[in-house]
Amino acid sequence: MRIIDLTLKDLSQIFRDKRSLLFLVAMPIIFTLFMGFAYKSGKDEDAVQDNRIPLGWVNNDPGGVVSQELFEMLSNSDSIRVVELAAAAANDSVRKGEVAGVLIAPAGYSEQAEAGDDPQLTLVTDTNSAQGQSIYQLLRTSVTKVMSAMEIARLSAGMTGKPADASELDAAFASASRAWAEADSASLVKVELAVEESFLGDWYGDNPYNQASPGILVQFAIMGLVSSGQILVQERKTRTLQRMMSTSMRSWEIIAGHTLAMFGVVFLQIALLVVFGQLALGVDYLRSPLGALLVSVALSLWVAAMGMLIGAMVKDDSQVILFALMAMFIFSALGGTWFPLEVSSGAFALIGKAMPSAWAMNGYQNILIRGLGLESAWLPTGMLLVYALGFFVLAVWRFRKMDM
Amino acid sequence: MPFAIEVKNLKKSFGDLQAVQDASFNAEAGEVLSLLGPNGAGKSTTISMLSGLLAPTGGDASIMGHSITKEPEAAKSSLGVVPQDIALYPDLSARENLVFWGKMYGLRGAALKQRVDEVLEIIGLTDRQKDHIGKFSGGMKRRVNIGAALLHKPDVIIMDEPTVGIDPQSRRHILDNVKALNRQGMTVLYTTHYMEEAAELSDHIAIMDRGKVIAYGAHDQLIKMVGEETRIDLTLNTDGEKVLAAWKATQGVSQINSLDGKVTVLVDDSNRVLPHLFEEASKAGARITSVEIQEPNLETVFLHLTGRALRD
Repeated sequence: MRIIDLTLKDLSQIFRDKRSLLFLVAMPIIFTLFMGFAYKSGKDEDAVQDNRIPLGWVNNDPGGVVSQELFEMLSNSDSIRVVELAAAAANDSVRKGEVAGVLIAPAGYSEQAEAGDDPQLTLVTDTNSAQGQSIYQLLRTSVTKVMSAMEIARLSAGMTGKPADASELDAAFASASRAWAEADSASLVKVELAVEESFLGDWYGDNPYNQASPGILVQFAIMGLVSSGQILVQERKTRTLQRMMSTSMRSWEIIAGHTLAMFGVVFLQIALLVVFGQLALGVDYLRSPLGALLVSVALSLWVAAMGMLIGAMVKDDSQVILFALMAMFIFSALGGTWFPLEVSSGAFALIGKAMPSAWAMNGYQNILIRGLGLESAWLPTGMLLVYALGFFVLAVWRFRKMDM
Repeated sequence: MPFAIEVKNLKKSFGDLQAVQDASFNAEAGEVLSLLGPNGAGKSTTISMLSGLLAPTGGDASIMGHSITKEPEAAKSSLGVVPQDIALYPDLSARENLVFWGKMYGLRGAALKQRVDEVLEIIGLTDRQKDHIGKFSGGMKRRVNIGAALLHKPDVIIMDEPTVGIDPQSRRHILDNVKALNRQGMTVLYTTHYMEEAAELSDHIAIMDRGKVIAYGAHDQLIKMVGEETRIDLTLNTDGEKVLAAWKATQGVSQINSLDGKVTVLVDDSNRVLPHLFEEASKAGARITSVEIQEPNLETVFLHLTGRALRD
């Protein structure tokens, strides 16, 4: 009961300080909005960017079936972006680098192709450049397909024994071209992913706040180390800790009382940010409310217990701030609160994944980004509780050795 | 009947510094025991050990029969401690402080409320109970500091120099409170470097110097240690090296101590020796600018035992 009395006294003192409320609520909300906006901006830039190779198209064969088919095939390509040009502007566009090359369909191109001749297209490009070589290879494939389709159409029309009229040939050509297109889109080879799905697309899912909201939430929870550490320092400064030590309260009870108070403060901050994220930013913590609750409780306990250890180690406020800031930067950066650990690699990712902050982020992202349920929260929660217990035991041990 | 406070060969070292060396003394239930000594004598370290703030390096002590090393929680539950510094929350009111500390001592509900009201009455702050401690004067803070240690009606109360740095009115209030608490049956361990406080309050006095208890007994017993010696405090208008040497050789002078131009002389008969002191000063070309004759007191005892004044 005395532990709870101590907790309530701490909370009463903390909530009387209006500045701490500002820090508790306003700052993390502002940072969440800022970070979310930053991620969102990045996403918009990505959306307008087209990485296909630009190819100029000059058609001197207007109305030709074959040149039109080739144009459509190139336009639907994942690798080529077709830019229609007037003949006069073609060379200038290549020189200025606006297009990697210009493909010119000569007059009578389709007619010659239908007649079984081998009409020639003209490609204006720098074959020494990588893009020039690429576009040449890409064009060869497309042109070969179109010409093959025409050859198939001609053979098909000729099988009736009658001379093929133009409409029959065009229909056969269209059929053959469709067959090529269907063959391209059909999944003839099953591809299995060698990387995690989360590597693909946006790592924050469909909402940039899926990273910003839990990231800032965890980071500001870690900032709670400052308040948590300062509790013991302030109690020592006001000599109330010495008075408390002269009562029959045990060391672990004193640490537990203060830890619970800081747990309450950090948890309240997290709860506010979860509500803000859910209602204002569309971050779906309530996809698994119990999972989010478990991770939040464990995260709050870890921060509170670690803050107590800092408070039991240091001599004054400035040392608390120093240690807390060091911890905040290490745990925030390595723990994936600024960017997900999936985009990092090597030792950084390996060390990062062992951080309690990484377990917290993992717990939230399992729910928000990976769309998993309560079962995905158990492991992160358990790991955070192990950290919390470890720091609590260390804090009590260090507290017993403190000079009063 | 066991002692309320029993200290046996208590030791505390900080590295090479032996802050308390084999301190031993006892206090019977219901008495006031003063620890008297100059700053740095080891008084606060001794009571820090009794209060559970410091672990002894050696020896043991008991509070109401409970060892501070073997049963610290039981020992501390019989104890109320008034620290030398104000140990209160400045952002809480006097009442909020007392309610909180009452809870820490295990009080709850109506009993807590009633006891807080009683303590506010005892310390004379009922009408200021809702004010924050931070707004109080030094004397008022001291009174709340004492009140917080009385909430659970402890058998033993330890007061560490509670009158340091406060006005005479608050000092009088605190000394009267100590007497009142003692009349109610509380055992009081009172540390001070004011010998007149120790003399006024104490049934027994333990004099400490440089970590050791150098004398222990009732006030009159301690005074008898210096026999019939009288203390004369003089002020000279010069450094007076020659004068001091001459006075040392004067018959009837047992001890001389000099600090900052003030000289303390222990003599067997002030009426007989004082004219000789004037004569020797005159011969050495010095002039005595003030004289104060004091009957034997605790200051005299300390001077007799250590060769130094309590204020040194």
